[in-house]
Amino acid sequence: MREFLADVLDAASRAGATYADVRVTDTTTQSLSVRNGTLEGISTGSSIGFGVRVIADGAWGFAASCDLSRDSAERTARQAVAIARASARVAARPVELSPLPPQRGRWSGPCAIDPFSVSASDKVAVLLAADGAMRDIEGVTLTTGELSFMKCAKTFASTEGAYLEQDWVESSGGIVAYAIAEGEVEHRSYPNSHGGAAFQGGWETIKALDLVGNATRIAEEAVALLSAPYCPAGITTVILDATQLALQVHESVGHPTELDRVLGDEAAFAGTSWVAASDLGTLRYGSDAVTISADATVTGSLGSFGWDDEGVPARRENIVTNGILTSFLSGRESAAAIGRESSGAMRADGWSKIPLVRMTTVSLEPGNAGALADLIADTDDGIYMSTNDSWSIDDKRLNFQFACEIAWEIKDGKLGRMLRHPDYTGISPAFWAGCDAVCSEGEWVVTGLGNCGKGEPMQIAHVAHGAAPARFRDVRVGVAR
Amino acid sequence: MIDVTRARELAAAAVKGALAAGAEQSEALLVASDSALTRFAGNRIHQNVASEDTELQVRAVIGTKVGVASTNRTDEAGIVACCEAAVEAAHHAPADPSFPGLPGPRPVLEADRTSPATLAFGAEARAAAAAAMIEASSRDGGIAAGGVACHRDVTAIANSLGVDVAMPRTTVRATVLSTSAAGGTGWASFAGRDASALDAVALGERAADTARRSSNAIELPPGDYTVLLAPEAVAEIALFIGWYGCSAKSVEEGRSFMSGRIGERVTSPRVTIVDDALADDAVGLSFDYEGQPKQRVALIENGVAVGPVTDSYWAALTGRQNTGHALPAPNAQGPLPLDVKMAAGDAEVADMIASVERGIYVTRFHYVNIEDPTRVTLTGMTRDGTFLIEDGRLTTPVKDFRFTQPALEALDTTLAVSKHRELVGEEGGALVPYLLLEKFAFTGTKG
Repeated sequence: MREFLADVLDAASRAGATYADVRVTDTTTQSLSVRNGTLEGISTGSSIGFGVRVIADGAWGFAASCDLSRDSAERTARQAVAIARASARVAARPVELSPLPPQRGRWSGPCAIDPFSVSASDKVAVLLAADGAMRDIEGVTLTTGELSFMKCAKTFASTEGAYLEQDWVESSGGIVAYAIAEGEVEHRSYPNSHGGAAFQGGWETIKALDLVGNATRIAEEAVALLSAPYCPAGITTVILDATQLALQVHESVGHPTELDRVLGDEAAFAGTSWVAASDLGTLRYGSDAVTISADATVTGSLGSFGWDDEGVPARRENIVTNGILTSFLSGRESAAAIGRESSGAMRADGWSKIPLVRMTTVSLEPGNAGALADLIADTDDGIYMSTNDSWSIDDKRLNFQFACEIAWEIKDGKLGRMLRHPDYTGISPAFWAGCDAVCSEGEWVVTGLGNCGKGEPMQIAHVAHGAAPARFRDVRVGVAR
Repeated sequence: MIDVTRARELAAAAVKGALAAGAEQSEALLVASDSALTRFAGNRIHQNVASEDTELQVRAVIGTKVGVASTNRTDEAGIVACCEAAVEAAHHAPADPSFPGLPGPRPVLEADRTSPATLAFGAEARAAAAAAMIEASSRDGGIAAGGVACHRDVTAIANSLGVDVAMPRTTVRATVLSTSAAGGTGWASFAGRDASALDAVALGERAADTARRSSNAIELPPGDYTVLLAPEAVAEIALFIGWYGCSAKSVEEGRSFMSGRIGERVTSPRVTIVDDALADDAVGLSFDYEGQPKQRVALIENGVAVGPVTDSYWAALTGRQNTGHALPAPNAQGPLPLDVKMAAGDAEVADMIASVERGIYVTRFHYVNIEDPTRVTLTGMTRDGTFLIEDGRLTTPVKDFRFTQPALEALDTTLAVSKHRELVGEEGGALVPYLLLEKFAFTGTKG
């Protein structure tokens, strides 16, 4: 491997690159899904290839191939340099990278039980047991369940002298119960929607979910939703659970503080940001209760690694501190553009893609509001919403609208009636300014999201968000009804 | 990149390999691709990438047990390993009594959907196109962002019952977002097979002109408005209807607007939506990922829900004809329409504008998502060219709205459909007209 990477870098340099890095990524996957008591699919996959990124004539070029032969190393490196020279025809200024001492080392993610050593039959058995428990509940008309596993080995080298080896395992799983009647579709997911919970780790993380033990509860909730009243329309106090907060943080803090978006590089696709680079240190992003960290060192989180895909070491810092913007997610180029160091957040979706500024574990830090029960008891009137169902936010990440799977009204400090089709909308800084309480560390959990889309060609990043339930005042709810 | 002949050879080798590994039936899907994209922002090229890959997927069947494996190692050892993995997966699968077996061969249209101009459109040509699009904005102090993407692939599908189909394709897509010196934004895009049809100068001018006219937008209150939706916006609605409502799976499960309503009127009679991969202008495959011929399927015809698309599994399970809309196995979505077209009407766009006393012109939507699948309730934002229409004229640019709107209810208020249609996106995109809708719910503003 070391020789192949050296060949690629040598070829790039000989072709005229002033900087080059190369990543070889070898990924193995397995997924299983069930539906209404039947295995819907079982599949395995493997993909290996390399991508070489160069600066030539002051501009970027990138080429990638699944062919790991010596000929391909030469051809692909030369192609990357030729592409860079074409880029240079339409370049405003030469690319500059923030400084980075040469990095060398090895990093492995946590994994107690290799999921690829566990029999597929055992995995199917877990899914079918949970599926059966859901279907035992009268009124449930459709059930689904899925498990997915990935192991990845990645080697990175650069003309600056970096040589880094990383490997990790990811596991995810979840179940969904549907109750469908008379044109109404209600559903409940466990432990989260959109594929379930996702971790860095092995089979032990799936066992800990206890899918079977939670199947009956969510099935009963799905059926109950069919006869629950709709979420009323109005302005009220909202408490969000940790999984919904994960997506709220993701969309309205994580993406708008990606420095490439702030600088306009994603303008034509995902958009820009309401935050400006000059806002650093002064912008009030939210209330004093709001501190948001970005941490690539959280054990077991999808947002963790040893080094990012530019070879920058993993780090932790606060993006928002007591409501004030204090940092950006960035890479070597975007950070250099505003005179800072990279925050180590450049990540690529496999060997065929370039690294972009992505989230790591971007978290709402715990507060001092105690347990969820304490926060509800402290709330006279409002709505508690759980489990994301849909999301939408504008191109500057200001106006958002989220729907959740389920909600309960809060009256006089107690949970009341179940509510169906809850949704809420707001404007990011006003919403975060309305955050007056965040539950304490005991309620804080990390939620992995394996479906963060960004860039062209579209890249899917695996990121994560820690949060404890939090309360927001003066929120508009019940938009869609 | 490998050619059609080699792609067929690899697929055939995998079909044999899976049988040798113990499968009773086998299927191979081989996709070789070569993609390039030049992106620009801030009036300079900031990302410029190319990649090549060859992916093989094998489906192995033992009785009614099915397993799938994929790899991008397509040498002999890689193919053998993939076949063995598929067979092993099938051994672990419980029997599915509903599995009808792999489909047999049927005649397909094996068109060559490649363009020599697209094949020759290299990094220098993409850079020149980017420069042309930027120029239209930058000469007036504006900023342009966008991209030029070229893609070619070969898809070959074979199975042990005799299916043996293949097709080479090219696609090209260009986009430009212009931001004027005064802060207005405008958008234009192009999609097709043939790069020689890309007029980068005109595309850049169109976006820059919209951006200039969008400057100094006023804020209007949320509420129900008459809207004229340009094709980029119409495509979002048509695609969500297709994805969430027009699969035999979602219909059977009761999650579709069609569930229990086939044969009923669901939109204005002015609305017809079909899936058609056989048209001369189609960019998608003419066969599905089981190698079955795609049929032209009317999804909504003159406002009436006609029926969903199927694949071999869902056709057998629901007693419908196989329309040839399988995705690569296994998939949780079921069959999907990938070549959506909305029928043209008889209206000129200028006349549609002239007919509006007060309404909103929408260039495109942003980040649309679905809140209720059975009503196809969508929410999203307007973006890059939203204007007030007053007394039959586009007058003032308007700050962007959030909408929250059941799509079928909106289409039920269709007042006019344009003659002119545009292809938005590539495969998986939609060929759609302008639509004039009497009532559309804007529920918020950008803030």
